[in-house]
Amino acid sequence: MKLIYLSALLLLPALLSAQPNCEYFKYIGDTLRYQACLKSEEIAGHYQFSREFQETLDEAIAIDPGFDYPYRAKSVAYLKSGDFIHWKKLMDQAVAANPTNNLAYRGWCRYQFFRDYTGAIQDIELLDSLINYDIGYSQNGNYHLHVARALCYKSLGQAEKARSIILDQLALPDYAPGIYDYLHLGVLHLELGDYQLARQAFDQQAQQNDLAENQYYLAQALYQLGDLAGGQQSLQTARKMYLAKQCMFDPYMQPTDKIYLADIENALTEVAAKEKE
Amino acid sequence: MNAICLAVLLGLHSCGLSQESVVADAPGYPRWVGDIAADETLDDPEFVLCLGEDQVKQYFNFGNGLQYTGEQHAILTAFREQYQPVPLAQSGMIRIRFIVNCRGDTGRFRIIASDNHYQPMAFDRRITDQLLEITRSLDGWKIQSDGEIAKDYYQYLLFKIENGALKEVLP
Repeated sequence: MKLIYLSALLLLPALLSAQPNCEYFKYIGDTLRYQACLKSEEIAGHYQFSREFQETLDEAIAIDPGFDYPYRAKSVAYLKSGDFIHWKKLMDQAVAANPTNNLAYRGWCRYQFFRDYTGAIQDIELLDSLINYDIGYSQNGNYHLHVARALCYKSLGQAEKARSIILDQLALPDYAPGIYDYLHLGVLHLELGDYQLARQAFDQQAQQNDLAENQYYLAQALYQLGDLAGGQQSLQTARKMYLAKQCMFDPYMQPTDKIYLADIENALTEVAAKEKE
Repeated sequence: MNAICLAVLLGLHSCGLSQESVVADAPGYPRWVGDIAADETLDDPEFVLCLGEDQVKQYFNFGNGLQYTGEQHAILTAFREQYQPVPLAQSGMIRIRFIVNCRGDTGRFRIIASDNHYQPMAFDRRITDQLLEITRSLDGWKIQSDGEIAKDYYQYLLFKIENGALKEVLP
């Protein structure tokens, strides 16, 4: 199972952001797009933040303004530098040129980088209405987009709806759970007061990809269920795992439901104080 | 981008913090998207880069994510404790970008801001002044190295504002 996760993590971003096959445009007789595509290929070897990278893509856009790829490729540097204004402008152009190819990416980025929950939901749901196949995964491969959509609903205060979406996704026969799916499900159960269900979800997460966050939230569920010793043990495990870097990580943003060492330490302090009472 | 470049020039405040944004057409691209040139009218003259203008990295180039003593938790705590909501119907996003040099010092703070539809907007200074002041007071940025050499790097904080209240701090 871990191999599947690793493969997804490594391959999906590459596949999702891959340079188009220029020969396809030549094959279908779209000479203009073929030329723009060939121009876009000249970005190879240039850093995506660099002047050369951006200028080359500008030239591709000048050749064929209806070609979505150069807009999207240009947008990445703005995204990663937190320039939401220029990023959105470029991605709007990419989406206008080719909605089905870019809505997933724009929607995911709105959530991941800008916590634009409403905008992310709109993009993902619009994509879902436009296609009759699976909407796919996030750019980093960590989430199916329905799970990402669920996290957006949760952040907008709709925990019941979020839980329902994740449960529906997990129930699909061909769906391989994402690396954080059961953790998020467990936290939703926890927030909704279903502590036994939360515990079960955290147990499932532990079986496939245990994390400091999983043990931290498991501890909360166990405390609610009256298992104080079990909760204490889970917090200690969470601390060890966190120090061993077995925790949620995203190089760009802090993932939803991520915890920090201070959260664990504070929880341990609270438990110790209660034991003294 | 031959299109529009968001330049930031918000004038000097009495407390020495920059503020106010202006959208202007840029003649061309900098070395890297988002490069912040030194501006003697805005920047602390004592803040200097260690390795030169063409060597400044991005915070994520090191593969460690945000690096701050006490992690993001400490940053969130600082804003939670210090930011005072401003009762105004202003909502959107504010990004403050700056450089952390090889000694962990910060400088060249710049702001961009938009409404919730990603359209540029200017927030009331009572909002942005606070965010700038707290950001400038953060002193736990970790030194990041590429091999054995400590580097200068760009970092940013992004604030989600809802009716003058601070709702989220990213990344």
